[in-house]
Amino acid sequence: MNWQATLEFARGPFFYAALLFMLFGLAYRLVTVIGLGWSKDRVPDKGSKAAGVVKTFLKALLIWPFIPWVKNTFTKNPLIYIGGGLFHLALFTTLILGAPHMLVWKSLSGLSWPTLPLPIVDWMAAVGIIAMLMLLVNRRINPVLKLISGPAEYLSWLFVFLPMVTGYMMTHHLWFQYEVLYSLHMLSVDVMMIWIPLSRISHFIFYFFARAIHGAEFGKRGVAV
Amino acid sequence: MTATKQAYDTLVHETGGWVASQLEACTRCGMCAEACHFYQATGNPEYAPVWKVELLRRAYEQRFTLVGGFKTMIGVEKRITDDDLKHWSELNYHACTVCNKCSMVCPMGIDLGSLLHGVRAGLAAADMVPEDLMAAVNKQVKEGSPLGMTDSVWDQRLEWVADEWEVEIPRDVKGASTMVVFSSIEVMKFPTNVAAIAKVLNAAGEKWTVSSKAREVVNFGFYEGSEEHTKLFINRVLEGARDLGVKRIVVTECGHAYDALRWHAANWIPEANDFEIIHITGVLGELVGSGRIKLKPGAFDGQGTITFHDACKIQRKGGHIQEPRDILKVLAPNSFKEMTPNREESVCCGGGGGVIAIKAADAPRYAAFQLKIDQVNSVGAKTVTMTCSNCRLQFTDGVDHFKLDWKVTGLAQMVADALVE
Repeated sequence: MNWQATLEFARGPFFYAALLFMLFGLAYRLVTVIGLGWSKDRVPDKGSKAAGVVKTFLKALLIWPFIPWVKNTFTKNPLIYIGGGLFHLALFTTLILGAPHMLVWKSLSGLSWPTLPLPIVDWMAAVGIIAMLMLLVNRRINPVLKLISGPAEYLSWLFVFLPMVTGYMMTHHLWFQYEVLYSLHMLSVDVMMIWIPLSRISHFIFYFFARAIHGAEFGKRGVAV
Repeated sequence: MTATKQAYDTLVHETGGWVASQLEACTRCGMCAEACHFYQATGNPEYAPVWKVELLRRAYEQRFTLVGGFKTMIGVEKRITDDDLKHWSELNYHACTVCNKCSMVCPMGIDLGSLLHGVRAGLAAADMVPEDLMAAVNKQVKEGSPLGMTDSVWDQRLEWVADEWEVEIPRDVKGASTMVVFSSIEVMKFPTNVAAIAKVLNAAGEKWTVSSKAREVVNFGFYEGSEEHTKLFINRVLEGARDLGVKRIVVTECGHAYDALRWHAANWIPEANDFEIIHITGVLGELVGSGRIKLKPGAFDGQGTITFHDACKIQRKGGHIQEPRDILKVLAPNSFKEMTPNREESVCCGGGGGVIAIKAADAPRYAAFQLKIDQVNSVGAKTVTMTCSNCRLQFTDGVDHFKLDWKVTGLAQMVADALVE
């Protein structure tokens, strides 16, 4: 197999095709959901909807992720909080503050920014991989997660796990030739990008709707979010 | 298949952008189960809120999303069947009080309570409401009350309350500013509460009245999830208010009724906005806060620890969280103690959402109540007070069932007993 050609394809045409598919797919889903119509709320407010929205975003983005144990449910299923929290932290650190990834962003957008030293990013990647394994085990053990997980949930896990693991192997030149690992990393990233709009990984878009709704619902009743 | 079709169409109808965007946000993390008192108490994974809304998700995805359509075509995703409806009817009516605690823990912030209500709408359209609950709904349609409080019964009961507790209950007073609508639970089972509220309003010099037309505030249509019935019962209240020309409707101790009237009615019936709709807890807070009624400070101190149970529809979903605390700080500054968790994070009593009206739901209901027992016991309270008669019904039944030595009471009653003339 010609790995050089595979790599060219995976980081060239296939990458851009997958990227476009992801963007159009997400846009399509966004438009269809918005197009379903929103009825006006005529109920008079007791508190402020806007204040509720602002508060819930601040709480959910700045407080809970870092001190999750303030929530009563934390003790009941800590693996979800710890695994989920570490996974997202690792994901954003490597994806935004890892030097090679920043260069990809730079080539796409023209913007660049300072990055973290490799050992830190590398450790974060390892943390992310371990967190994902934890989450998978939890999904197989927890009776609720077992019940609500179908093929789509496991595929989502797999398509996120593969880029992480191939990326890690690539950095450490593990077992295979560099071109091989690089190709596999890019191929898995491409597949993941295609999968994103087809799956619940796209929660990162609808999160903003649900969180805002939560803030508005609690805010209008004058209840703390 | 017609039942399924009815349910499917209604579920599809429920999914506008507001619902769809929230269904799309779900990552299937299962966190909501940890908030659900029914799951916590029984360990049954099917009681996870995310699983209870499964029918709504399926209907939405199959009807509106490409992936959902494709998955249904190749058979990965199952179509909704009559058996599914039966099964989900049990999950949703027997083991869910629509208390919305799950939305507090959802990392995405999904307002699960509203989605769960949507599932009920689908089940109601397919006639999949548990028999006991449906019988109560039909009774309210025909007789005006699910507890058999017909015109003449209402008449006699109020007469008796007025006599027994020597309190004036103004009836059908045109030009009164406030119309109070009691729940049949209070009139039939907790008449002292009716007397207490009357006493407090009279002491405050409030120009109030009850209406023989709007005599029942309870809304079993809202439990059922049927928009038609919910509107019918709301309209009866609004008509009574319109006839008497009042400005304000005071909902007494029924959580679901308050949720329906205060937070939903105007979206179905715009004329609801002609009135200020408020819960009695808000009125009590107002009266005590402004000094229109005077309470004997510490009236309930020295009788053991008193704790307050937050009702899901009046506190978490109603917003009357601070008033009971302010009042209890006057009534029992030394012996009032909070349970944990409390306020908007409170654990539901387990009897709301119509659950207590369904005999077949006794097992999960008592199981869920055990969480409440642990909470109350851990603060060592001997008296539990609350602002919802439905919770109170669950508490009195639970106390009886588990042979507990607590005193179960209502906040309005405590206020009335501590009035300084």
